[in-house]
Amino acid sequence: MKIVVNGLEVWYNSTPALKNVSLKVSGGEMTFVIGPNGAGKSTLLKTIASIVKPRAGVIYIDGKLISSISPKELGKIVAYVEPHISKSIPSTVLEFLLTARYPHHSTLSFTTPRQDLEAVEKVSKQLNIEHLLSRRLDQLSSGELQRVLIARALIQNPKALLLDEPAAFLDLRYRLEVLDYVSSIVKVNKVICIVAIHDLYLASLYADKIIVLDYGEVVAAGTPDEVLKEELLEKVYRVKVHIVNINGRRVVIPVEPIERISL
Amino acid sequence: MALPLYERNIKHFFISLTSFTILIVFMFVLALSLGPAMLSPHKVFQAIFLKPFGYAVDDSVNVIAMLRLSRALASLLCGASLALAGLLMQTITRNPLADPYIFGLSSTALTAIALGIILAPNLMVHKAYVVIVSFLGALTGYALTLSLSKLSGGTSLAMVLAGIAIASLFSGASHILLYVVQQVIKTPYVYLLMGSASTVLLKDLYFLAFPTIILTILSLAFFKPLNAYLYGDEYAKQLGFNPTLVRDFAASIAALLTAITIAFVGVVGFIGLAAPHIARFLTGSDHKFAIPITTLVGALLTLVADIVVKLVSMFAGAVGELPLGVVTAVIGAPFLAYLIIKKVRE
Repeated sequence: MKIVVNGLEVWYNSTPALKNVSLKVSGGEMTFVIGPNGAGKSTLLKTIASIVKPRAGVIYIDGKLISSISPKELGKIVAYVEPHISKSIPSTVLEFLLTARYPHHSTLSFTTPRQDLEAVEKVSKQLNIEHLLSRRLDQLSSGELQRVLIARALIQNPKALLLDEPAAFLDLRYRLEVLDYVSSIVKVNKVICIVAIHDLYLASLYADKIIVLDYGEVVAAGTPDEVLKEELLEKVYRVKVHIVNINGRRVVIPVEPIERISL
Repeated sequence: MALPLYERNIKHFFISLTSFTILIVFMFVLALSLGPAMLSPHKVFQAIFLKPFGYAVDDSVNVIAMLRLSRALASLLCGASLALAGLLMQTITRNPLADPYIFGLSSTALTAIALGIILAPNLMVHKAYVVIVSFLGALTGYALTLSLSKLSGGTSLAMVLAGIAIASLFSGASHILLYVVQQVIKTPYVYLLMGSASTVLLKDLYFLAFPTIILTILSLAFFKPLNAYLYGDEYAKQLGFNPTLVRDFAASIAALLTAITIAFVGVVGFIGLAAPHIARFLTGSDHKFAIPITTLVGALLTLVADIVVKLVSMFAGAVGELPLGVVTAVIGAPFLAYLIIKKVRE
């Protein structure tokens, strides 16, 4: 399982979002995409999920051109977890989670197979959202909703999992638990996993590979040891950082901004 | 947890399905018994439901019940289509306040019919043409309300306000046009302004029945894209559904359903608002369950409203009858108020 991106260029109207992005991601690895606001992290994930159409460049999944895969087929392969979903029409968590199985069935089939419910059961137990299944989406806290959204992607059982800010709104325990769980699923099922994240600390804990985006361009890519360097991060983020060695991992600690906002 | 929960949903669905069917049969028999000549509901039940099985029925009961049949069936079918139109509109706008009446589709459809009668009166003899003209009117109303609400920010309240503006404008326009029509040809078209099931003929019922049934089955068949669409365009997209296609498809069905009821019964408001909410409360928002229950709730509400119309005219003893839309407005508008309060609080 492999995703290859070559010469990707994405524009929103007249603003460039991604410029000449090329990368290679393989299954069984946690790939983290980091970079400041507006660097193009979400756009990269959305383009791979075929939600945003690129102006130029190609994306291959397992050697297949993504634009040649039918949308429904793609739904079986790729799951993108967006941080926001619409919940203005009241619906329960169970109803939401069951929609994740739709790519695996014919559109016109009418029954809900037993294994769908078992898949929901299994994942919701593991993510500790079982007690929320009968609740309405708009009654969940942000952290609960975040876990429901990640559960949805896992129930879809994709070959490529694209997580956009999975740690947002989660408390300390669930940040670590959820990423730990995702990373073990990725390792066991040899799934491709790309995570766009702001928290460099989490990136240094769980990443096998890190891609740094800035102004829509890849400025660095490689293992955490290669990428997480003070000089590079200070240049990209405009923040002073310390790199500490904990349990054999390079962990990034942000210290202070380089430019202070004057009063 | 997931399995028992889903089984509970299915149980709720079947309980609602049977209880609404029984209620509708009961109200249907009641509607046929009520009128200047009161019939015994017991005998009406025999005449309608047991006659096909070779049951001997009193002739006078049979004749009167058959005369009232078209009116009762018309209110049932019109309620079912309006309710389904409302559900589809709430889904595609992701706005719990959507309804063909509030969003102006009903008024624009009626305006189109009135214009059609003035411009080409001989064409309008054919009900099929009336339906087509009214469909074009409803689609125009949908497009107008949506573009106006986009200009004003696109929030769910902006949509309602845009709908009110469009609805008021075209309800005024249709009043004027139908007034003109009435001067030219003496017709019962004025009934269309606030809706009335009493003018529907038995031979017209096919135009009302077949589209309603076919469009209900069609919407039900596409329950998956509709469910996926609820959670956002991007969400639907990554499950492999084209959100624009889902929206256009459902909007056309909603406009067609609205158009048919306007062409035969006239403007009946708020059924499309209330029925989906009641159905979702009972069976959840999954369209697989919500679509059948919504149509049943809509049919029941409209039938009850028509019974109220009959009762008022019988006991108040005034000339003529109340329009159906007046009764549904009295029942439905407080419901809208409640929903707005809930929505604004959020």
